Amino acid sequence: MNKRIRFTAIMATALLGTGALASCATADAGSGGDDAGGTLIVYTNSNGDGRGEWVTAQAKEAGIDIEIVGLGGADLANRIVAEKNNPVGDVVFGLNNMFFETLKEEDAVTAYEPAWAGEVDQESGDPEDGVFWPLVEQAIVTVYDTNTIPAADAPTEVADLWEDAAYDGRYEVNTALGQATPQLVLAGLLAPYLDDDGDLGVSDKGWEQVEEYFAHGSPAEEGTDLYARMTRGDVDFGVLPSSGITARDAEYGTKTGVISPADGVPYVTEQIAVIAGTPRETAAEEFIDWFGSAETQGAFAAEFASYPVNEKARAEALPEVVELIESLPKQDIDYSLTRENIGAWVEKTELEYLP
Amino acid sequence: MRNSSWRGMLRSPLVVIVLVVLVWFVATFLVLPNATLLISTFFPDGRFSFRALEKLVSSERALNSLWHSFALAATLAVTVNVVGIFIVLVTDYFKIRGSRVLWLGYATTLIYGGIVLAAGYNFIYGKYGFITNAVRNVFPDIDPNWFSGYFAVVVVMTLATTTNHMLFLGSSLAKIDYQTIEAARNMGASTLTILWRIVLPALRPMIFAVTVLTFLTGLGALTAPLVLGGTDFQTIAPMILTFSKSSGSRDLAALLAIILGLATIVLLAMMNRVEKSGVYFSVAKVATPLQKQRIRNPLANVLVHVAAYVLFVIYALPVLLIVLFSFLESTAISTGTITWDAFTLANYATVFGTPAVLKPFVVSVVYSALASLIVVLGMLFVARVFQKHRNPVTSLLEYLLHIPWILPTILIALALVMTFDRPNPLIGGQVLTGTTMLLLVAYVIIKIPFTLRLLKAAFASVPESLEDAARILGAGPLFTLRTVLVPLVLPTAAAITALNFNSLLDDYDAAVFLYHPLYEPLGLAIRASTEGENNLDAMSITFVYTVLLMIIMGFTMWLVYGRGRASSTRRRTPRLGAGAAAAGAVTGSAAAAEVAPVRVPVPPA
Repeated sequence: MNKRIRFTAIMATALLGTGALASCATADAGSGGDDAGGTLIVYTNSNGDGRGEWVTAQAKEAGIDIEIVGLGGADLANRIVAEKNNPVGDVVFGLNNMFFETLKEEDAVTAYEPAWAGEVDQESGDPEDGVFWPLVEQAIVTVYDTNTIPAADAPTEVADLWEDAAYDGRYEVNTALGQATPQLVLAGLLAPYLDDDGDLGVSDKGWEQVEEYFAHGSPAEEGTDLYARMTRGDVDFGVLPSSGITARDAEYGTKTGVISPADGVPYVTEQIAVIAGTPRETAAEEFIDWFGSAETQGAFAAEFASYPVNEKARAEALPEVVELIESLPKQDIDYSLTRENIGAWVEKTELEYLP
Repeated sequence: MRNSSWRGMLRSPLVVIVLVVLVWFVATFLVLPNATLLISTFFPDGRFSFRALEKLVSSERALNSLWHSFALAATLAVTVNVVGIFIVLVTDYFKIRGSRVLWLGYATTLIYGGIVLAAGYNFIYGKYGFITNAVRNVFPDIDPNWFSGYFAVVVVMTLATTTNHMLFLGSSLAKIDYQTIEAARNMGASTLTILWRIVLPALRPMIFAVTVLTFLTGLGALTAPLVLGGTDFQTIAPMILTFSKSSGSRDLAALLAIILGLATIVLLAMMNRVEKSGVYFSVAKVATPLQKQRIRNPLANVLVHVAAYVLFVIYALPVLLIVLFSFLESTAISTGTITWDAFTLANYATVFGTPAVLKPFVVSVVYSALASLIVVLGMLFVARVFQKHRNPVTSLLEYLLHIPWILPTILIALALVMTFDRPNPLIGGQVLTGTTMLLLVAYVIIKIPFTLRLLKAAFASVPESLEDAARILGAGPLFTLRTVLVPLVLPTAAAITALNFNSLLDDYDAAVFLYHPLYEPLGLAIRASTEGENNLDAMSITFVYTVLLMIIMGFTMWLVYGRGRASSTRRRTPRLGAGAAAAGAVTGSAAAAEVAPVRVPVPPA
C-alpha cells in the first residue's frame, strides 16, 4: 500500500475509534450516573470457581439482571473506596469483615436491613449499625495430608510448627500479605498477644511469634498450589480456607487432616451491603433480599461447599462441611481492632520479618 | 537545524499546536492526578512526613531488596546488551545458516512474558524441572536447587528482555550505509574492526535507548524473582505492590517507586548527554541494502554458529513446553508426572465453555489497538518537536512525560479514579470515573515513556540534510514530517505499536481499578478464571490463555514484520531492507537535490 494512504488510513482509524469510544462513553456514563434502571452492577471477590456465572444465572431466573465485577479482595476494596464520589457498582458481597469495616469507615457502603435479617446471627456482621450483613462463614485452617502424616502424629497447636525443630521448613507460609488469607493468618498469630504498651498494640512476645513463624516456614511458590507441594513432598503443612479442602482432596487424592488448636482458628465471614450513593438502591436491596435468603444461600451452599450463616440454609449445606466447621472452635479475634491495625501490622511484617 | 531558540520554536504553527496540546495533556492527566495523590500521601496533615523514609532506612529487608533490584538492573544492562547484540548480528548482519529459523526462535519472547515465562523456565531447569531431573539421573550429587537465586533470575530475564534489541536494533542495523562497510573492507579492515568501528557506533543511539529500557525492566522485575529468586534474591517490586494496595502504607510504596524512578531518570539524563555530544546519523541515503557478512575465520564461524543454535534451543524450549502443557491435566504439570493419559482437551473446553468467552478478547483488542495507535501518533509529533527544539521548556516536558515510569501503575490508576470522579474544568466539565474512556486514558499514559524514548532515538538517526533538502524544495513542516521523516521512522513506529499492543492485551494492574463493568478486559477475565480457592486448574488455564494470546500477538507481529520480511526475502535483502529501500526511494529526489557531499558516519575517535 502506498505509504501516504496507509498513514492517512491509520490516522483515520485512530480518530474514528476514539470518537466511537467517546460516544459510547457518554452513552454509558449513565451506569455510573443517575440512571435508576438498567443492569445492577454487583462487585464481588467471590466469583471464582464458576460462582459468578451461577449467581448471574440464578438471579436472572429470579428476575434480577446483574453484571458481576469480580476482583481480588484488596483490589475490590480499594476500587470501591476510590470510586465513592461517583460509584460504579451497586452492591458488594464476598469481602470479609475487615474489608467491610474499612468500607463502612470510608462511608462507601450504606445501611439496609434485609428481609432475612432475623435468620442470621447479627453478631457476625455489623451489630451496631447494620450496614453489612453476613452470608457465609469460613475457617482459616492449617491442613496436612493424613496419608503422609497420621492424625495421631500431627501437632495439636499451630505454634508447634515453628517451636519444634522437626517441622523446620516443612510448612508453607504465604508471604503475599496484600491478600486476605495471609492477613487473617497474621491477625490470628497476633490476637493472643494484644498489649497496649507494645509496638503497634502487640507485645514483643507476639512479634517474636511472627518472626519465628516466617523464619521456619517455606515461602509459598508463585503459581504452585499448596497441595501440589504437599503431594511431591516439598512441605507437609499449609494454610487454606476451609471451603477449599473438598475439591483438593478429590483432585490430588489426599485425605486432609486439620490442626484444631485449643484456642480455635480464625474465622472469616463474607458479607453483603449496598454501595452508598447508587442510583439503583431499590434494585440493590431487592438483590440482597434474594441472595441472602435461606433458599438462595442453601442452593449456593450445596453447589459450592460453603457454610451459610443463615440458619435455615444450613440444612442444605454439605454434611462434611458442617461437620468440619462445627468441630473447629472460633478463635477470639477483635475484628474492629484488627481492622484498625492490620495495615500497620502488615507493613511491619513486610519490612522486618518476611524471609 | 537543531534549534534552541525560543522564537524559532514558536514560529512554526505546527510546533505551537503540538506544544499546547502537550501542555494540556501533561497538566491534566500526568501532573494533576499524581501530584494530588502524592501530596495527600506525603503531607498527611499538611506537613511533610518523614515516616516512610525512617521506616525504609530501618528495614534491613527493604534495603536488601532495593539493593537486589539495582544489582539486577545493572547486570541486565550488560548481559542483555551482550545477548541482544549477538542475536541481532547473527540474524541480520552475519551470514548464518538458517538465520530465519533462528529469528523465529529468538522472537518467541515477543509473544509471551511474565509469570508464564518464569514458570516455563522453572519447569525446565527448576527443582522439579526435567533437565534437572535428567542431569540428576546421571550425576545424583548435583544440587536440585541449582537454578535459583540471582543467577537464575539474571539468566531468565536476560533471555526474556532481548525483545527490544531484536526489534529496534534490528531496524537500526538495516538502515546502516552499506557503502561504508564495503569501503572499510576494501581498505583491509577485519570483520571485527568493521563491527567495532563502524557498525556498533552507528547503532549507539538505539543501544542507549534500549539500555535504559533494560535497566528499567530490571528495576521493576516482579515475577521472575518471585518464581526463581528463592529467599536469597527477592526484589523490591513485590513489596511496592503490597504497600500500594494498603492506604496506610502507600507513602512507602510511592517512596520506593520514586527511588527506582529517579535512578532511571539519572541514567536517562546521562544517556541524553552522551547522545547530544556525538553526531550520529546512519541512514543510507542511497538504496544499497545491507548485505550479510560472511565470517572469514573458519573457527570463529563454527563457534558463532554453535552459540547461535544453542541460544535458539534455550529460547524455543519454554514456548514448546507451554503449548504442550496447555494440553495437560493440571495435576500432571504440578506433580511433574507426564504420561500419555494426562493429555486432554479439557483445559480448552473450560476456557471456551465460559459464557461470552470472546467478549474480553474483543474489548482488550479494541482498547490496546486504540491506545497503541494514539500514543504512537501523538509521540511522533512530540518526539519530533523535542528532538528539533532543545530548550528548558521541552526538557521539562520531556521529563514530565516520564512520570509513568516513576510511579507504579496501580498508583497512577488510583490517582485517575480519584481525580476524575467529579466534573473537571480541564476536560470540559466531564466526569471520567465509571466511563469507558478512563481506561483508554490510562493505557495511553502508561505507554508514553517507552514510545517517546524509542521514537526519539529513531528520529536521532535521521540526518538533517534530508529535511533541509525537503525544505529547499518547498515542502511545509507537516508535509516534510509525513513524507520524509515518518517513512524513515515508520519501521520503529510500527514495532512500538505492535509491542505496546501486545503488552496492553493482558494488562491487569491498570484495568482492575478502571474498567467499565460492562466491558471486562482480558487481563481481568484471565484472573477471574484462574483465581478461586477451588480452582486447581489455574495454571493449565493460564497456559491456554497464553497460547491464545501468543496466537493474537504472533498475528500482530506478522502484520508488522511477516509480510515485509517475506517480500524482502524475495529480493534477497535483509529484514526491513524493504523499509529502508522504500525510504531511500522516497528520499531519492531529496538526495539528488542535496548539495552536501554524501557524508560517512564518523566513528568517534
